[in-house]
Amino acid sequence: MKGMILLASMLWIWSATAFAVGIQYNLRVDGLSCPFCAYGIEKKLTRSEGVESVIIDLEKGLVIVKVKEGITFTEAHFKKLVDDAGFTLKSVTEASQ
Amino acid sequence: MKCLQTCGLVTGFLFFISSGSVFAHDPVFSPGPHVLFKEGIEVLVATDREKAGQEKNSGLNLNLVYGLTSDWAAGIELPYRSADNGLDKSNGIGDTRLFTKYRFWRNDSLGVQESAAVLLKVMLDNGDDTSNPSLGTGTTDTLLGFAYGYESLKWYRWTSLRYRRNGENAAGLRRGDKWLLDFVVGIRPKLPIYLKADTVLILELNGEQGQRAELNGMALANTGGTEWFLSPGVFWTLRNFAVKAGIQFPIASNLNGRQPESDYRAKLELEWHL
Repeated sequence: MKGMILLASMLWIWSATAFAVGIQYNLRVDGLSCPFCAYGIEKKLTRSEGVESVIIDLEKGLVIVKVKEGITFTEAHFKKLVDDAGFTLKSVTEASQ
Repeated sequence: MKCLQTCGLVTGFLFFISSGSVFAHDPVFSPGPHVLFKEGIEVLVATDREKAGQEKNSGLNLNLVYGLTSDWAAGIELPYRSADNGLDKSNGIGDTRLFTKYRFWRNDSLGVQESAAVLLKVMLDNGDDTSNPSLGTGTTDTLLGFAYGYESLKWYRWTSLRYRRNGENAAGLRRGDKWLLDFVVGIRPKLPIYLKADTVLILELNGEQGQRAELNGMALANTGGTEWFLSPGVFWTLRNFAVKAGIQFPIASNLNGRQPESDYRAKLELEWHL
């Protein structure tokens, strides 16, 4: 019986960890013409509390922002950060990680 | 008079080192419209060298720039200069420069940024102007400019126009004001990938037209004139680190009176964005 409880507990912890994922935001950004300039976007976004990673695809004008579970950002928040970095935010879409 | 000619040559060089680009992904020898991201810090270490006849000048500059907004940056340039006029040599602190740039127009599209900016630079008179050759101008000078740039993932093009207004020193010498006009193209041979090394090849055409210097209101014969340079360059970047380098070769020269023509000018810059 103890073994069953232990196994169940481990499964519960595993599942909680496995599915405890945050949101992925896909930002369409215009003006990304060089990787050195795009560093400003990475710097601005990674300063935001809860951002796990920032991936930039220059050719597609795409900035992928992965955030921790329970953290959400508004489009206005992203717009300000992208503006501060010197670029133009076109759209924001959400996707599960 | 020889001293005046020397002063003219040295200050011509001082003009060269003060008139180039400051921000990465701007051309090497001319300004572009680039500014820093808001609250960003740029640290730049640059070395340059020029030879014109017997005159040889070189220096090491430290630039610090701060992004006041995403369109407005300001900074300071602290030079250490070495000068050799063929007879004497000197080295020491050069004139400190304060500069600012404001990007007043920007048009973004997918993988393309087009923008225009105005810039202002003030060259202080704190450099050593008692040494021979002089390392400072002994005057406070100002430079006002305009820059336009088109940048895409493949092609670059820039143009800029600047005007330098020189002050008068204690001896009544006023170096001639100067116009500068630049046309630049750049190509990125390989499409960039973020966090991978990126290279852009640049070719600049730099024109300079200087008025005659004046001593107590009298124009000096062996000063001023026009020079054009063809300047191949490169910038190489990796994330927030950049290397820029280029050489200016004179292709046309029409200097007033007897003045040595430029042989070459070279520049190397290391830059970090923090």
